Amino acid sequence: MNETSASSSRSRLVKYLPAVLVLVFALYLISALKVAPSTGSFDTATFSQLPVLQGGRVKPIDTVARTSLLLLSGKQTVALEDGTSKTAIEWFLDSVFAGDRADIYPVFEIDDPDVLGVLGVQQNVQRRFPFTLLLEHMDDMRMQANLAGSQPADARTRFQNALLHLSEKIFLYQQLKATFQIAEAGSNLEAVTSFDAQITKMNGASLDQAPPAKEVRDAFQHRIERFQEMAKFSDLMPIPLPGKGVEQDHDWTSIGRALLARFESGSLNPALLMFARMSDTYAANDAETFNRTVAEYSSALKTMKPRAVGQASSEALFNNFEPFYKSMAIYLVVLVLAFVFWLVQNPLFNRLAFALLLLAFSVHTLGLGARIILQGRPPVTNLYSSAVFVGWAAVFLGIILEKFYKNGVGNVVAGMIGFTTLIIAHHLALQGDTMEMMRAVLDSNFWLATHVVTVTIGYSSTFLAGLIGIVYLTRRAFDKSFDADTAETLGRMAYGIVCFSTIFSFVGTVLGGIWADQSWGRFWGWDPKENGALLVVLWNILILHSRYSSSVKAMMMLTVFGNVVTAFSWFGVNMLGVGLHSYGFMDKALSWIIIFGISQAAIISFGYLPEARQKRGSDGLA
Amino acid sequence: MKVDTFRSISRFVTSASFIYACLLFMMGLVLIGTFAQIEMGAFAAQRRYFNSFWIYADVRGMYLPIFPGGLTVGCLWLVSIVTATFTRMKWCWKNLGLILSHLGIILLIVGQGLTQLLAEETNLAIEEGETRNYSESSSQFELAFTETTDPVRHREIVIPSSELVPGRIIRSAELPFTIKTVRFFANSAIGMGTPSIPLATKGAGTELNIRSVPVTTKDDERNISAAGISILADNTDLGTWVVSPALSALQEITVANRTFNFALRAKRHYFPFSLTLKDFNHDIYPGTDIPKNFSSVVHINYPAKNESRDALIYMNHPLRFEGLTFYQASFGKNDTLSVFQVVRNPAWLTPYISCIIVTVGLLIQFLRRLLFKRSKTV
Repeated sequence: MNETSASSSRSRLVKYLPAVLVLVFALYLISALKVAPSTGSFDTATFSQLPVLQGGRVKPIDTVARTSLLLLSGKQTVALEDGTSKTAIEWFLDSVFAGDRADIYPVFEIDDPDVLGVLGVQQNVQRRFPFTLLLEHMDDMRMQANLAGSQPADARTRFQNALLHLSEKIFLYQQLKATFQIAEAGSNLEAVTSFDAQITKMNGASLDQAPPAKEVRDAFQHRIERFQEMAKFSDLMPIPLPGKGVEQDHDWTSIGRALLARFESGSLNPALLMFARMSDTYAANDAETFNRTVAEYSSALKTMKPRAVGQASSEALFNNFEPFYKSMAIYLVVLVLAFVFWLVQNPLFNRLAFALLLLAFSVHTLGLGARIILQGRPPVTNLYSSAVFVGWAAVFLGIILEKFYKNGVGNVVAGMIGFTTLIIAHHLALQGDTMEMMRAVLDSNFWLATHVVTVTIGYSSTFLAGLIGIVYLTRRAFDKSFDADTAETLGRMAYGIVCFSTIFSFVGTVLGGIWADQSWGRFWGWDPKENGALLVVLWNILILHSRYSSSVKAMMMLTVFGNVVTAFSWFGVNMLGVGLHSYGFMDKALSWIIIFGISQAAIISFGYLPEARQKRGSDGLA
Repeated sequence: MKVDTFRSISRFVTSASFIYACLLFMMGLVLIGTFAQIEMGAFAAQRRYFNSFWIYADVRGMYLPIFPGGLTVGCLWLVSIVTATFTRMKWCWKNLGLILSHLGIILLIVGQGLTQLLAEETNLAIEEGETRNYSESSSQFELAFTETTDPVRHREIVIPSSELVPGRIIRSAELPFTIKTVRFFANSAIGMGTPSIPLATKGAGTELNIRSVPVTTKDDERNISAAGISILADNTDLGTWVVSPALSALQEITVANRTFNFALRAKRHYFPFSLTLKDFNHDIYPGTDIPKNFSSVVHINYPAKNESRDALIYMNHPLRFEGLTFYQASFGKNDTLSVFQVVRNPAWLTPYISCIIVTVGLLIQFLRRLLFKRSKTV
């Protein structure tokens, strides 16, 4: 009696365990769904949500801070030498408002040993360096950058590329530092108000009055030159303009332009005073006034630019939630659980894995949906979002496979592809704003939604088939429980997915041709990107035809090679222009692709090993 | 016997290894052709690898075909698919999806072949307010004589630059003189100064130094041909002129009371209608220089068909008119010049149709399999 109740309570526990696990994870996720709280006494949370215009779109300062820091250091936080760390927004505030305070933070990521040599630094564990170090070598750096810059782009050495890359970072940092720096030294607020007063005085001056002294005129001239310089160099537009009618994206301007606009408009843009006060009080460590100013400005904006404020705060929320990072972590747990299931053959682990897979997929979907809404675009607009979407579509197919076959294969492949593609996306994000605007030719939601999405689904499913191939070949060679039934099931799964990929990659590629016909006047131009997609189609067709003459094993070996073909057309073709716009991640990515290719070749060679099961058989005989 | 040969050929071209070979050759070609574009530019790589029957390479001084070109592989592929579809496949409802998808692919390959053989791409650059009734080739040139004797009606006599072979004499019933080519430069650089080797004895070329430079295949560079031509009338040499599209000065000659001006210019393709550029617009995203849209308003005037209307050409929305398609390609002169790519491609519709046929075919095939499999297991 006791025994049965114990076993029934255990079975009940087993029954509800997946739900409990999902609940625990979900609670954790929900708790993270908020804007990053302020860490110190400064109200960084409200500040980070303020909207600005940059790169043609309205975004929160949070995004500017994060992407700038990512571009400089490859990370979203700054690790200081004393062991403490600063968030992106704290670093941003120190950089733009507190003069040279951020110059000593190690944020400049420098990998190239030769560039380090120019800086007189030995290569060791430290990879990020402060601006002060660069300042010491500024003249030499400038000369080196000029030398490298005069070399044609495709003839530059690795050192020259690395150096130019570093000088771009220096420019970015200096540009950022100058954004709000109205006064050459001292109080920004004083600079703004005295400038305003000077113009008022000038306008009110009558002709018979004596002209101001030469020093005064020179200082004024100097000031205007400084503002012109600011207007020219700053790409950040934090100052809202009173728009007419419907709120427009171009109703924003930079600090420099807003100051110069004082001449025509007759009055000072009030936002200038706000930012000047924020910067003065931040530099002076006056948290109370800073917070009050931020709050006052933020509430004023709410009535002036409700759309921008809403957009910016949703994006700040999205940034802080990091849905892709979180789902990536859960995919890893799924993968581990699914492997445990194969090792111990206890179905509980497979159910746990599946439950978490659904959760990770929901978070992934949420992130994807949020991006679509924030950007107002179909899911795939650049390489970064293609990685997110390739993973999403493949995981979706993996879930369907698992639902039908319930053998853990769907969990493993979904976990694996979800995890890997999000890691790739994470690294692609280092290239800057992931929601950048689309260039004219690409600015077509219709084609982005049809061609790009279809062809990307084609990539995902080709990868998925390849992963099933990996599972098949690995288990066949090393897993003694791998039998004819399993082999046949895996064969059916892979074949179905290959059919799916053939349709999607074919339709996607042809739609791409039709788009090209619409925009450039030719259906097919043998352009690298088109060729890459064509390779995937041809390879899928080849796999389909192999079924009429070859074994399941041969088909699996072909699907694994499909991974290489797809990786090439997805990333490889983007690297053909190496040397032009592709320093940094893309250089590293090339070696990763080669490593990936070799690993796939190794897995394909498993197909030539004898079956693990047969090995046992022959052992028995001997 | 004959039937047997046919059968064995048909069996061979539809065999798995033949299909693999076609697919693998195609993939290999695509791969090489893609990498080659880094060095030689897209246009030249396309001609060498995809628009050719054989790819030749210099093997120890010998010029040998080393790899089948796109046209060969395409033809073999076509033979294989056509044979498979019409002899090997059973034409029954069960195979409907299979047959449709193969027919669609056949159409796609034929269409691409036709496009590569028939399509013509030219350029049309118009400034705002200007009217044009022709487009120009970006790679071909022609020597044009325009008779201006009658100031109202000008007549053109055109000689393609391929006829300009040094030493060859060109006669035309419509010209009162003959032309002898002295030198021809496929690509040239023209500078001021006395020529190192004197070529021209008359005209603008006497004060210019013309050098031959290597032919470029890069996509962002253009060849500028030039030629030295002697004009002979009644066995007297009237002089040697240099002609090149780089010369802006008009050169003129009068023979037997007939006046001609002449120039080597980009090959023209005349339309039976004219286009006037009314306005060009170039939008950027606020606060950046990222282009958002390019658009042109043109006026089409076609008196023969009583058409006189405005048309808007912008990104992804070309103008299709009288078998020609006008695409917004470029711009210049402070946004007052608009450049269109003009394409004549009689086969442009084939991919649209074949895409639909293949998709329907594949869907029928795979869904049938899926449903069939499911019902079997149930």
